[in-house]
Amino acid sequence: MGFEIPKIRYTGKIKKVTLGYGERQVKIGGEGCYPFYTFEGDMPNPPRVAFEVWDCEPDDWQEWAIEPFRDVLHDPVLWAKKCIDVYGAELIALNLKSADPNGMNRDVEDVVEVVKKVAGAIDCPLIVWGTSNDDKDAVLLRRVAEVCEGKNIALGPLSEKNYKQIGAMAIGYSQVVMASTPIDVNLAKQLNILLGNLGVQDEKILIDPTSGSLGYGLEYTYSVMERDRMAALTQEDTKLQYPIICNVAQEVWKTKETRLTEQEEPRLGNEVRRSILMESVTAMSLLIAGADIVIMRHPEGVRLIKEMIGELTAE
Amino acid sequence: MDKHRIRFLPLDITYLAQDGENLLDFAMDVGVHINASCGGNGTCKRCKVRLVEGRVDFCQDQALSVSGHGEDIVLACQTRIKGDAVFEIPLESQIDRSALKSRKSPNILSAPDSLASLGGISPDPVAYKINITLEPPGIDNNMADSERLIRVLKNSHNMGDVKINLNILKRLPSLLRNSGWDVTLTIAETDMGLEITDVQVGNTPKKQYALAIDIGTTTVCGQIIDLWDCSKTGSRVIGESADYNAQISYGDDVITRIMHTRKKGGLKRLQEAVVKTINLIIDELTDKAGIERSFISHMVCAGNTTMTHLLLGVEPRYIMISPYTPAFVFPPVIKGGDIGIKGLDNTPLYLFPCVSSYVGGDIVAGVISSGMAKEGDISLFIDIGTNGEIVLGNKDWLMCASCSAGPAFEGGGISHGMRAAKGAIEQVRINKKTYEPMILTIGHSKPLGICGSGLIDSIAEMLSAGIITENGRFNRELPTDRVREGKDGYEYVLCYGKETQTGRDICLTEIDIDNIMRAKAAMFAGCKVLLDSAGLYFNELKRVIIAGGFGHFLDPSKAQIIGLLPELPLERFVFIGNSSLMGASLFALSREYASEAERVARMMTNIELTNNNRFMEEFMAAMFLPHTDLRLFSKTLGVR
Repeated sequence: MGFEIPKIRYTGKIKKVTLGYGERQVKIGGEGCYPFYTFEGDMPNPPRVAFEVWDCEPDDWQEWAIEPFRDVLHDPVLWAKKCIDVYGAELIALNLKSADPNGMNRDVEDVVEVVKKVAGAIDCPLIVWGTSNDDKDAVLLRRVAEVCEGKNIALGPLSEKNYKQIGAMAIGYSQVVMASTPIDVNLAKQLNILLGNLGVQDEKILIDPTSGSLGYGLEYTYSVMERDRMAALTQEDTKLQYPIICNVAQEVWKTKETRLTEQEEPRLGNEVRRSILMESVTAMSLLIAGADIVIMRHPEGVRLIKEMIGELTAE
Repeated sequence: MDKHRIRFLPLDITYLAQDGENLLDFAMDVGVHINASCGGNGTCKRCKVRLVEGRVDFCQDQALSVSGHGEDIVLACQTRIKGDAVFEIPLESQIDRSALKSRKSPNILSAPDSLASLGGISPDPVAYKINITLEPPGIDNNMADSERLIRVLKNSHNMGDVKINLNILKRLPSLLRNSGWDVTLTIAETDMGLEITDVQVGNTPKKQYALAIDIGTTTVCGQIIDLWDCSKTGSRVIGESADYNAQISYGDDVITRIMHTRKKGGLKRLQEAVVKTINLIIDELTDKAGIERSFISHMVCAGNTTMTHLLLGVEPRYIMISPYTPAFVFPPVIKGGDIGIKGLDNTPLYLFPCVSSYVGGDIVAGVISSGMAKEGDISLFIDIGTNGEIVLGNKDWLMCASCSAGPAFEGGGISHGMRAAKGAIEQVRINKKTYEPMILTIGHSKPLGICGSGLIDSIAEMLSAGIITENGRFNRELPTDRVREGKDGYEYVLCYGKETQTGRDICLTEIDIDNIMRAKAAMFAGCKVLLDSAGLYFNELKRVIIAGGFGHFLDPSKAQIIGLLPELPLERFVFIGNSSLMGASLFALSREYASEAERVARMMTNIELTNNNRFMEEFMAAMFLPHTDLRLFSKTLGVR
């Protein structure tokens, strides 16, 4: 008798979620196996990378992060278009930095105006990332849901504190929500149950497990995501069977390792290469743990990750 | 007893009621909603129903004098069922019919009336009295008094080696002579072997009483037992009394008490405080029953490990320091005088053996009173209290664990929480349409606060009515004034100030709900980990025995809604109330239980949860209503 490779018995499936509308809409999820275990099951929709775009001109970015976008950083619409036209973006993640009460604290309606413009200018799916301030997001993201009617955007993060206000509007305007919890399997599940009870459809939920950067707790996120997927795929835990989104860019690019130049710290080597690898390795790890969408900043990092996804999902 | 047919309109459903039953209690039992917020004492006048036909009795004159209504309007809480009757429930109290029809037959468990127990057990106490007559000494037989006495015991009662201690010896010469050489001895089994602990004039062997005392961290309860006579009701328990443990002024929980012992004189202060409480309880018990202390032959106390240490004045500090080592688990038999119990200087005091630092004699007492350690079937014993203790097993094996649940179920840490005493809200129903409550208090008196069973009911009802969500947060968009923003965040008003004893509104806040969720999550997680450790599933349990002083009632279906109890058929749940006191009384009554206590204590394997990762994981999973793992509560969720 020949040797047979042991296989995992999967009993669950990740739900399919569609983002965007029309020809460029993107389908994610639907996996019936662990990430990239295509020898054991189906992975009908490969993971995707979303390009990060800010709603205002960043004032603290590294020179090497500015460089690919220097000509468009002043205008979110041009910025998003460049990501699509020049760097081949399939999804745009608009980060509403300017609304943050601890930062610029821009007025809700001003920010909504930017969202409206960007949403109107692009035809690929849009992800709108709020401030992570429960109160501000409760107001802001509700308006975002409203003005993006018909665009089937993903909006979030929704927390245990504001899921009701935002969730209700997301149902009303048929948007996808990103349920965000602080790196914990049970808390993730609880928020999903609450959203379900509120009436949010299964195909309208993404899990944001809260990501950490390489060197800043990545392994913690990694193991929680692994456990999410184990529960979802092998323990019939229906309330964890949702695609996972990880906001890699905002975590990685604030670390010391992406900021120090080689001159300041020769031991760390070339800063451009180093930063791109920091972002790529973080994204790669999270994809292997189960992420369906990773949000990234640097076009070179995106290229590396797309290459990796292509190789791992090749027939 | 006659049963009466009670029909409720417009629901048009009929239930059978006992003669003399209170209408509001009855409606609560059968699940018919009638608004009521004063707990059933006739002041809120909201439980109005129209008597369509039939015969009733009234508790007070005021029952009929509801202004502005016809004569046929009665207050349900002031109405006693005296015959078949038809009542119409007014519009404001009506609940939608679908909700009512889906309700299964009620299954509310009442704690057994401990005054009625112990009747069926034949006494065989660890201390017993025998009457002997001695031949007076003469010049030809001038053997010493003590040896003379012992010789009689040896020759006529076959007792080889009986000890007499100095206290008895001092009284012996005059006693024997005053009695005309006819005395009654109390002989107790102590650490010395057989020991004469009392000598009384005359023939009094059947005048024998014992004290059973449960020393709780919060409450001390005592019973006095007549060892040879049963009352007309068949009970040997002739008195019961309870009081707060005076140690409370030195801290609410065992840890702060242990901390206090590290202060100068702290250990002695705590010992004196609890002895003071015990003395007060003994005073009350003996006064009420009209019994002289001298007829008390022995005392049995059950307490948790810390309480047992403090009662004996033994250093408890290593209980709280890893690796959590108590000074002893098998306590010595002492005399009342050793610790300052008044009037019972030479009376032996037996303490229940403990198992570990956090599973004490109270749990051993609970287990022997539940009988679980004598059965082949596997039971789970849960003592819901500040320290939640859980025991799993059968006659062959027992495993136990203790988890810190916090004082929520005893009313602690809850803004309007209280002990299960008069005035405590203990049953709550909430109308799913109007969000109006139906409230019953202990003793039907004006509400004073909420006890554990009222909290379980309230949270289950608020969840079922959609007032709170599964994470314990209030739904702020409901069309009711009862959900409002208070000084501690959102809250639900159970009773308005005009209906309460204090004049202040009785509310449940989000913080309260959070505390109860923590308590129930700890209890459930403890059970889950203990079962997992034994490789068992909940459905393999034949019986779940619930003990604790959180109330007189427990509705297991409500406890399941909040995820405190596992989802099992309701008939598998048994509620036994204060099982520690019951165990102490059994020990006092029969040596069979005394040896059973020792067997149980030796048999229990303790699973430490304090440093258990699985416990933390399960705790987080249970911090939700009913639980994050919906499959554990699929039926409950289906019903809701």
